[in-house]
Amino acid sequence: MNPEARTRRSVLSTLAAAAGLAGLAAQSGILVRSCVPNVNYDKPSTVKVGLPESFADGLTFLPEHRLFIVRDSKVFRAVSAVCTHLGCTVHADIQQVSDATGSDTRPHSQVQQFACPCHGSRYRADGTNLSGPAPRPLAAYRLWLSPDDGRLVVDMMDEVDRRFVLTLP
Amino acid sequence: MSRRRFWSIRPASAGEATDAVVANLLLHWFPARMRTTSLAWTPSFWLGSVAAVLFVLLLISGLPLMVFYIPSTREAYQSIKDIEHVMSFGWWVRAAHRIAAHLMIIVVSLHLARVFLTGAYRNAGRREQHREWNWVIGVAMLMGTVLLSFTGYLLPWDQLAFWAVTVSMNIVASMPLAGPAVRDMLIGGREVGQTALMRFYLLHIVVVPIAMAVLFAYHMWRVRKDGGLARGDAADDAPEVLAAIPAAVRRVAVVTLGVWLLVTVLAIMIPSPLLEAANPQATPNPAKAPWYFLWLQEIVTDTTVRIGSVVINGAFLGGVVLPAGLLALLTLWPWLDRSPAATVGVTLPRERRAQVLVFVAIAVVIIALTAVGLLRGPSWHFYWPWQEWAAAPSRF
Repeated sequence: MNPEARTRRSVLSTLAAAAGLAGLAAQSGILVRSCVPNVNYDKPSTVKVGLPESFADGLTFLPEHRLFIVRDSKVFRAVSAVCTHLGCTVHADIQQVSDATGSDTRPHSQVQQFACPCHGSRYRADGTNLSGPAPRPLAAYRLWLSPDDGRLVVDMMDEVDRRFVLTLP
Repeated sequence: MSRRRFWSIRPASAGEATDAVVANLLLHWFPARMRTTSLAWTPSFWLGSVAAVLFVLLLISGLPLMVFYIPSTREAYQSIKDIEHVMSFGWWVRAAHRIAAHLMIIVVSLHLARVFLTGAYRNAGRREQHREWNWVIGVAMLMGTVLLSFTGYLLPWDQLAFWAVTVSMNIVASMPLAGPAVRDMLIGGREVGQTALMRFYLLHIVVVPIAMAVLFAYHMWRVRKDGGLARGDAADDAPEVLAAIPAAVRRVAVVTLGVWLLVTVLAIMIPSPLLEAANPQATPNPAKAPWYFLWLQEIVTDTTVRIGSVVINGAFLGGVVLPAGLLALLTLWPWLDRSPAATVGVTLPRERRAQVLVFVAIAVVIIALTAVGLLRGPSWHFYWPWQEWAAAPSRF
């Protein structure tokens, strides 16, 4: 602005316009912020899933937690059933192994794969991604025994390395 | 008596026809005179007007649905069942609403194709024209149409709804930095539930319809400011005009009644589907998007790429980057088009052959991906339409 033209009136008009814009911006921010909830009613992420002996050897699916508990006698793992691509629930494909030699004497003679119904991702039995759009292995979660009642506890916010296991004495 | 009351839509003279535009609030929508090229059935096929009629039918048919619909994850599904089976003519109102929405997606897409193929987003007149901005408004309205359909099919809170929200919100969250915050804002938390349904309901019945109405009004105002249907400069010298009243009124009436009739009949013939109630514990197999999103579902299936040890999730590449790039290209096309002004409003001119080929190629890819998506069956395997789907694999 030309300094000669700067009158008291023009300065006050500019200030008033700036104050108006600032107020508008602040109130827009308030309206946007007001839409962000301050209380979270999501289910807790740490859950007690049951006594260790209640799980059979092999795979148990807990639909309410979208979680697999994998048991191999005294060794337990918690594997997420949430596809790492876009979050649908994977299902276990049970395939019978036709092993004519009978050399495979492991307790479960089935090869399990996980398959996602939304975009066709497939995972190996250990949770690593095999084919399809899944970018990462299925998440593994920390699990431990609750000291008060001996039940298995899984924290679904605490992602751990795939090799993490809980070994019971 | 009736002659005096309805003189404006049945003018006896050219003078009365001109006065009618001023005398009648509804008729002042029209200019006094319109070019015969603007009034002709081709090349516009009146697709924009068809879309506008569909929008109005959607607003009207949505009201009775709102009377009975309850936006609660516990009651939404049951309230849709009530609309379908208990409410008088509810099945028909719901079907009309659904059919009109499907038709609107088709018609708006065809309208975009027509405007592109005739180069009607460019200016050729002598007066101040901004057709390129009207193209941008149109692209925004296409997004609005898609968003209305998306938020609409979430409301029944059936399996389709729940898993569509889950997948789409994970696409949003796959954006680096802001993604998770935007997702939390859209669904009001980390889990898809009541807060998500309420937010999408508000988007569906308030936010997007009002935005669409404002954009539509501006779109029509711009068409009129820009001189009606786009055409080459040569046509401007001695335009052939007709009094808009009754010529335009008659055509709008024909379009309105035709679309209304089509929606009425289709709504009687085609029942509206409703899947099982939303079950966060089990994803249906296969979990397929509605037909107009199948190409996007196919893209996110196929675009997870591995470069060395770096993996880019198809959710981000196919769900965000590619669609955003396509949208940016579409929006900016009027400024990329450098063909001569004489081609404005001309269908498939020689000078725009390369552009038309690019447009057709993209359209063919989208249609092909949709066809591929239609062939997907359980576990995302391919099935021909005449093949029976395998029983879904046993969970345990």
